[in-house]
Parts: sequence; structure tokens; C-alpha cells
Amino acid sequence: MTTQNTTLLESIDPEIVDALVTRQDEIAQGAATNTKLAAALALGSIPVALAALSTDVYGQSANDVLDVLQFALLLEYLEAEFYNRGVANATVMGIPPADLPIFTTIQAHENTHVTALQGMITQKGATPRTKPNFDFTAKGNVAGFNFGAGQYATFQVLAQAFEDTGVRAYKGQAGRLINDKPVLTAALTIHSVEARHASEIRRLRGLKAWITGRSRDDLPAFTQAIYDGENNASQAGILLFPLGNNNGGGEAVTEAFDEPLTKDQVTAIITPFLA
Amino acid sequence: MPEKKTMVISSTEQLLDAKTRRSFLKLMGAGGAVFFLPSVLTSCSDEDDDPMGPAFGQPSGSGPAVVIDFSRGDTAIIQYAYALEQLEADFYTRVMAAFSASNFSPAERTILTDVKFHEVIHREAFKAILGPSNDFTLNTTYGNLNFGDRTSVLATARTFEDLGVAAYNGAAQYLSAVANLELAGKIVSVEARHAAAIRDLIAPKSSSQGDAGTSFAPKAFDDAFRPGKVVPLAQPFIVEVLTPRNAPATFVQGPNNNG
Repeated sequence: MTTQNTTLLESIDPEIVDALVTRQDEIAQGAATNTKLAAALALGSIPVALAALSTDVYGQSANDVLDVLQFALLLEYLEAEFYNRGVANATVMGIPPADLPIFTTIQAHENTHVTALQGMITQKGATPRTKPNFDFTAKGNVAGFNFGAGQYATFQVLAQAFEDTGVRAYKGQAGRLINDKPVLTAALTIHSVEARHASEIRRLRGLKAWITGRSRDDLPAFTQAIYDGENNASQAGILLFPLGNNNGGGEAVTEAFDEPLTKDQVTAIITPFLA
Repeated sequence: MPEKKTMVISSTEQLLDAKTRRSFLKLMGAGGAVFFLPSVLTSCSDEDDDPMGPAFGQPSGSGPAVVIDFSRGDTAIIQYAYALEQLEADFYTRVMAAFSASNFSPAERTILTDVKFHEVIHREAFKAILGPSNDFTLNTTYGNLNFGDRTSVLATARTFEDLGVAAYNGAAQYLSAVANLELAGKIVSVEARHAAAIRDLIAPKSSSQGDAGTSFAPKAFDDAFRPGKVVPLAQPFIVEVLTPRNAPATFVQGPNNNG
């Protein structure tokens, strides 16, 4: 029900949504409710949160953990190589000296993540996947990009795309790690660092640090899948638009929660970058 | 403005009969995780209509205990998160209220206003999700913090955001429902976005790494702190005594091995 509500309501003015939600909750409860917030609260309970479980199918075996680690390693290879080449070509691209510390910092982190993930995979008796070759033009979607002269702006665009993707990718895999606490905790401590990176790159580009609705802002159209679904305003089975009343509106409600992507969704996003 | 009420509590029945508009004690006797000890005298505040709160500014730890009973599993973890979001939401609400007398730039005000929106939404979302288990309200205290002073406010904001990230990262291992783990993940990355933005306002484009690093991302791995480490760091801002009970004996460290 919630998913349908979100799909139907997401493009509607939040005030209209509020009215609908209130009405809907009244129906659901068979009783009058005092306020929109009270309506939302009345529906809110742990059982509702738990009910959301039934919509998700998660495997949580040792093989799943390894699969997550190898998947994360692919993403980190992509990011590490991107920043390695970017920093190596900083002068050519025209990265201002004042901006360079941002990229050297992120570069170091991504390479550390690669090493850490390789270590975790090895520790589990498996062999880390090898680094593939990458195509940073994304099969021509970023025509001519080669870390070349005057391409700093494009470099920033790709950095934002990769960081915002990384946040959603790790988030989407957390559930598969729930029975492996060391890997879960390690993955989460990478996940939030990716969010810090995303915040910095977005603000460097003059954007908000957080994602509003499903907006890709000024990124090219082929990146839209990175932002699709970020306009979700239903959490734990509760449509939260009323919480934006006098508090930033529906935009703030969507900004306040980053949304996960499935492995398949992330794979579709990064496949063009695989040579 | 609601009148500030004082309820003298002598029995659970009395709590259930309380007529206060938002009596937040009503479920204390029903095996709830939140107890106010000693349970004889407390104030009932309405944080929406009375932003100062009857206990605002009283010394840290001078109020009654607010117990988070971790034997309640995921509910306790969400209560723990709710407590932390209460602090953050309160803080940024006061930051905004002081804008008229503060020295923030317009761009900084936009950021801080957004953060306030997000934190209030987090608080209210947890309040809704917890349902009957949301029955506690923390009053805040900030010592001599000058809310009009940019430097002081940003330093405190940084503390809250970094602590929030570490708290979520460290508590996730105690969640047993995938849906709750995912919900925590949706919030922690927004807290991390906040943390980086606040840090960048303090030290723009800094690459300084480590525990004392000023960078937007001072470590390759964020910290993951156990509740027993987070609570003492949050307590200085809380009038009540935030009291973990039955906290898990085991804690799986993150890569920084400092939680």
C-alpha cells in the first residue's frame, strides 16, 4: 500500500498529499484523527516497521557477504582509479590548488577502502576480484572525457555521480550483512565516509550537500538512475510529508533520508563505466 | 503558550489518567523502556509550543533518569536514536532562533536551516515509528554556549554530527530487523552529509586527517561508537540522566577500533 501511495503521490503538491494522507489514515483507522501529524503517529509502530520486512527478500549467508564485498570492491576500484587519474592529471585538468586537497583526501580514502575490502575478502578465504579496465566516458555518455585540459568541471560531475552512487550502493547492501557484524560495521563506516565525500563534492559544485527529491540537478541525463527513488517520503510504512509542514516542506522530507539502491540498480549505473 | 505543569506522580494509574495534552509519562507502568526515577516529580513540556522548555538550561544531569533498556532490542535502539535526534533538533532550532543576533552568512543560514529541518524530521519520524515507546522528552542544556557566535555554534554542530554518525554506525550491529537497519542507514548518511558540510564551513577544503583532523572527512573510515561511549559524550547537553540499561556486553569494533 505504501509503495503505491508513494508512486501515486510523489509528484503531487505536498499540501494536497497531506490532505490525502489524513483522509486515508482516517479510513484506515475507522476513526477521526485530530491532526495530520497525529494521523501519521497513530499509524506508526514497530509492527508497521517490521511489516516492511515482508516486502524484501534478503539472503544473509556467508556467500552473500562475499558477494557484497566483491561488489563493493568493484565500486571502490572505480572510484580509486578515477581519483588516482584525476589527481595525477590535476594540473592538466586545471584543478585549482585550493580544491586539490579535496581530491587527494578522497583519493586516499578510496584506495584505503580498496585495500580494506581486499583484506576482508582474503580473510574469508576468497580471492579479491581483479581490477577491471574502466571507461570514464561511460561509453560516450561523457564524450571525450580523458582527464584532459579544461575538463575539471566534467571531472567534478563524475565525482558527484560516483559518490552519490556509492552512498546508495552501500546502503542497499547493509541488509545482506546483518548476520556478519564485523563486515556490517566496516561497511557502514565506509558508507558514511562516502556520504561525506558526496557532501563535499556537491557543495564544491554549488549544490546542496543533500539530495532533494529525485533531482540530479545539473548532471547529464544519463545519471538520472543515480537519483531515481530519492524522492521517497515513506519510511517504516509511514508517509512523512506532514513532517515538512512549517519545516521545509516535502523537499526537506526527501532530503532527510538517503535511499538505497539494489545491486542490480547499481550494476546498471556503473556498467557503462566498465571498458 | 501552554502553562508549565508539574505533575506529582505517585502511581501508574495516575499517570494513565494524566490530563496533560501530551502527557509523556502515560506508559511508564506498562513495562516501557523509559522510566523517570525518582518517579515522583517531573515537568511535562511541550517542545513545539514551548521551545524553551521548563527544564531548559538546568545543569546537565540534574534531572531524572531516562532509561534506555536495551533488553527491548530494536525498540531500544530506535529510542536511543530518538534521544540523539531530539538533541540535534533542539540544537538547530535554537541556532535558527538566534539568527537575528548571529554572525552567520546567508549561505550558512541556508545550510543550518536545512539541517534543522532534517533533524526535526528525523526526530518526528522516530517519534511516529516508536508509537507508545516514544514517551520521553529530553531537555537540553548548553552551558555558556553563545548561540549568536558562529564559531561556537559550528564547533558544537560538528560535535553533534560526528557523534551522531559514530552512534548510528556503532548501534547498527544491535538491530535485528533488516528494515530497521536500512532505516538507520538512510539517516546516518544524511548525518554524514551534515557533518562534512559543517566541517567544511569551519575549515574549508581541509585535508587534515585523524582524530583532530579538520577535514570534511577526517578518516577513511568513520568511527563506530558503542552506546556506552556515546552517552557520556551526549550527556553534557542533557538535563536528564540518559541511562543505558542492559546494554549489550559485546561490541564489534569498526576499522578504527576506538568505539
